[in-house]
Amino acid sequence: MSAADNTPNNPTHGAPAGAAPEPSRRGFLRMGVNAVAGAAALAAALSPLRDLDPDDAPSLEEFFQKHYKEMSAEEKQAALARIAEQVRRRFKLPADRAVNVQDPPPMDGVEFVYALNVSRCIGCRKCVHACAKENNTSRSPEIQYIRVLQMQKGSIDVETSEHHYDPIKIPDHQAYYLPVQCHQCAKPPCVKVCPTEATWQEPDGITVIDYDWCIGCRYCEAACPYWARRFNFGKPQIPADELNLDMAYLSNRPRSKGVMEKCTFCLHRTRRGRMPACVEVCPTGSRKFGNVLDPDSEVAYILRHKRVFVFKEEVGTLPRFFYYFDERGSRYHEPIEVFEPGEST
Amino acid sequence: MDKPGHRLTLLPVDRGTVRAVIVSLVLFALAGMLWADLWRFTSPVEPRTRVPAWATDIATVRQPSLRPEIEIVGFTYRCSTCHRLFPPRPTTGRTLTQHRDIVLKHGINDRCLNCHHPENREAFVDDKGSEISYDQPQLLCAKCHGPVYRDWTHGVHGRTNGYWDAAFGPVERKLCTACHDPHVPPFPPMRPAPGPNTLRMGDQRRFHARHEEQENPLLIYQRPTSRDELDEKEHE
Amino acid sequence: MRRYFAFLWDCARLSFVGDWRYHGWMTVLTLITLVGVYAYCHQLVYGLVTTGMTDQVSWGAYIANFTYLVGLAAAAAMLVIPVYVYRNMHLHDVVIFGELLAIAVIIMCLLFVMVDLGRPDRFLHLLQRFNFPMSMLTWDVIALNGYLLLNLHICGYLVYMAYCGREPSKVFYVPFVFVAIVWAVSIHTVTAFLYVGLGGRPFWNSAIIAPRFLASAFAAGPALIILTLQIVRRCTSHRVRDDALLTLRRIVQVAMLINMFLLGCELFTEFYTDSAHTASARYLYFGLSGRGALVPWIWTAIVFDSLAMIILLLPASRGLTLLNLACVLAIVGIWIEKGMGLIVPAFVPTPLGEIVEYMPTWHEIMVCLGIWAFGLLLYTIMVRITIPVLSGQVRARGRHDQNELKAAHATRT
Repeated sequence: MSAADNTPNNPTHGAPAGAAPEPSRRGFLRMGVNAVAGAAALAAALSPLRDLDPDDAPSLEEFFQKHYKEMSAEEKQAALARIAEQVRRRFKLPADRAVNVQDPPPMDGVEFVYALNVSRCIGCRKCVHACAKENNTSRSPEIQYIRVLQMQKGSIDVETSEHHYDPIKIPDHQAYYLPVQCHQCAKPPCVKVCPTEATWQEPDGITVIDYDWCIGCRYCEAACPYWARRFNFGKPQIPADELNLDMAYLSNRPRSKGVMEKCTFCLHRTRRGRMPACVEVCPTGSRKFGNVLDPDSEVAYILRHKRVFVFKEEVGTLPRFFYYFDERGSRYHEPIEVFEPGEST
Repeated sequence: MDKPGHRLTLLPVDRGTVRAVIVSLVLFALAGMLWADLWRFTSPVEPRTRVPAWATDIATVRQPSLRPEIEIVGFTYRCSTCHRLFPPRPTTGRTLTQHRDIVLKHGINDRCLNCHHPENREAFVDDKGSEISYDQPQLLCAKCHGPVYRDWTHGVHGRTNGYWDAAFGPVERKLCTACHDPHVPPFPPMRPAPGPNTLRMGDQRRFHARHEEQENPLLIYQRPTSRDELDEKEHE
Repeated sequence: MRRYFAFLWDCARLSFVGDWRYHGWMTVLTLITLVGVYAYCHQLVYGLVTTGMTDQVSWGAYIANFTYLVGLAAAAAMLVIPVYVYRNMHLHDVVIFGELLAIAVIIMCLLFVMVDLGRPDRFLHLLQRFNFPMSMLTWDVIALNGYLLLNLHICGYLVYMAYCGREPSKVFYVPFVFVAIVWAVSIHTVTAFLYVGLGGRPFWNSAIIAPRFLASAFAAGPALIILTLQIVRRCTSHRVRDDALLTLRRIVQVAMLINMFLLGCELFTEFYTDSAHTASARYLYFGLSGRGALVPWIWTAIVFDSLAMIILLLPASRGLTLLNLACVLAIVGIWIEKGMGLIVPAFVPTPLGEIVEYMPTWHEIMVCLGIWAFGLLLYTIMVRITIPVLSGQVRARGRHDQNELKAAHATRT
């Protein structure tokens, strides 16, 4: 029954039966009160926005900023200056701390490849923390690009791995360690699925993200077979005294909430010839990095001479991250058995 | 419905108005509750994990001086300070009376003079008896550890710090003794740095389901040996 | 043009008029919507940390509801096919309700995607750099918005023509209806392909996902329409014949049978193979390493779906009580198995074998309920407008009608 209860006998032809009749003062007042109440409720519903941090709202320049690949050199310079200013403001840096935001281009004739010696990794996780410090990742909520897996001896199945090991001493002799980070795949599924092309692969092999373009849909995070991509669910918190102020647009400048990030092989270092932070801190020297196109590089030697395998090769993403193993391994507590000729083993 | 004129003096209490008033009151009540932030957001984010300073320190586990020196009771002496006073003994294999704090657990290499030069204690000895300088330990280790040395020269064994591209800066290859104590070379076990504590991770104590261990063929077929049990005790 | 504005104005006024049940319903929906807006504002301020999602389970209730609703939208085509392709006139008068439901539901889908974005202020970036055809999300954007525009056109045209008292010209809506049939199937296929194409998630990387989506959509959608048509019959003057309901029952029956068969196929493939790739299925149905939050949900869904299937096979379900029960069971069961039972398990365990469970937070639930309420609000308004217009009760006022009105006013006051 849709008949209105007021003035049912409206004889005017063509007027909608059950529609509001000719306006009366009472009807107008009713409508008014309801409208005011509705508006008040809507305003109250929107009230949490009063806590919105003005830094979180994009500035006009940021809103109209083009995609990284479309920016001219001047626009890039303007963006870098804006970012430096934002970092200074956000972390309340004193004037004497130099903020350096650059945009190093990829080097010609360079394709970066990473190799990790599974025989030598002891699972100490220094790489995890050095990376977090170098790349200004959030400390709370915690974001770490590298995840070290303690794998059971004899199994490459990650279902049997342990991420949260914390023994008194590592290495655990019943395990081996597999640190995983972004493999900068040659056929990256994350690049394939990004709807706005906010992530792409650069000529030197690094898959990068334009943090000012990403819409935060997290499709890339679902697509990555190596669980290498991270999302800023909350506003990233970094203590100002631990900030690394040598930054690049595409790698370690502080991000906002709601965007993706991941390992970029420290391109702010590596595109200037330096080693990534994880390589420099590894106590056993298990991590190897370099230009695979250079036949004299460490990584080219490894790929030629070592027993190399690719993690989850079957997904077909052609990673640029290779695990290898060589003689002996993390079993130094065992005495070397001497083989006497003539003795049966 | 009553004629409008009749009831103008009293409050308008027809059903339509009552309904409108109820709706308005409800909306105002909601507005009040929302404005007061009745369902405010409490952050589940945990405070950051304390990361010890050593976890991000790029220093190697040892910082060898690469000089033929020894520290005794706070003073540093060059090896020749004592060893030029004593003639080298022809016999070897005797028990040490000095340097008894040095434990030699170098596998089957149990003779000091395999590495140290018999005449000049400020140098090492190579295959043919010539001297190897104290700051070139890798030439010494290469005597026996050929494949590892070969890998080291190509940058594949041991750590490289600094630059991967020599055109931009020094490629710092770490020497053997920066990681390996020459007398007890195995890399010392250490405590791991803090593990992950990500957002809303939940309780991650390892649920050792029988199921998963049965999925690992190696573990199904291995039987623990007595040596393994000894090792377990050592690692307690 | 003026008449079009008059039409819009009449629609707006009409949506505020109704009896106490109508106003009560609309008020409740408005309240829930406003609470949803409030929760979403918290999300805008603090970020997606207000939800239960994590890096390990990075899609949750929002995408689950989105997936389910895309299916419901596609199911509107299930009303259109019998009428326009097979000339089954039982459903002729109720096709419009399916199309209107499709509009409301698609808007809900788009809202669920918007609330899931980390930076919704940047959604215009989609217009500037569009990774078509590689990214399935771009296909989804085109499919959903196109479907919305198609249905808006079809319904808007038919209703506006009725408002003007004119016979709708077939060339302006019949071709669009046929396109909408194909498009409806494609929106759900494209949504399925979002998940299917990911090699890193073996739970999703299966060819059966797309057919299962369609089968479950064509079970849940007409089931919902059966229920809404009975409400329309009860609350408005529009006549809904039992034949229409029975034809829809037949559709739900067959679709549910196919859905259960496909479920059987999936279960066999996962559990007979029992390889490491089936860890997500083991987590969903039996729990993994002591963690099994989803286990009661999925078994409830299977029980509901099976009961619905059995009830629908009984001739007694021609009676409305049993039919309604079966519909409710189907709707809820399919919501669970398609929403939480499909999206969340693919993230557990993670590609690195970690198990982090997912639980939606109150803020997340409030936003979901808010969007559902908003969709129902839209649907109610659309039905409220359409029925009087189509039945001829509400017509455009011609010029001389206007003068008559003015004269009538003058005499009264």
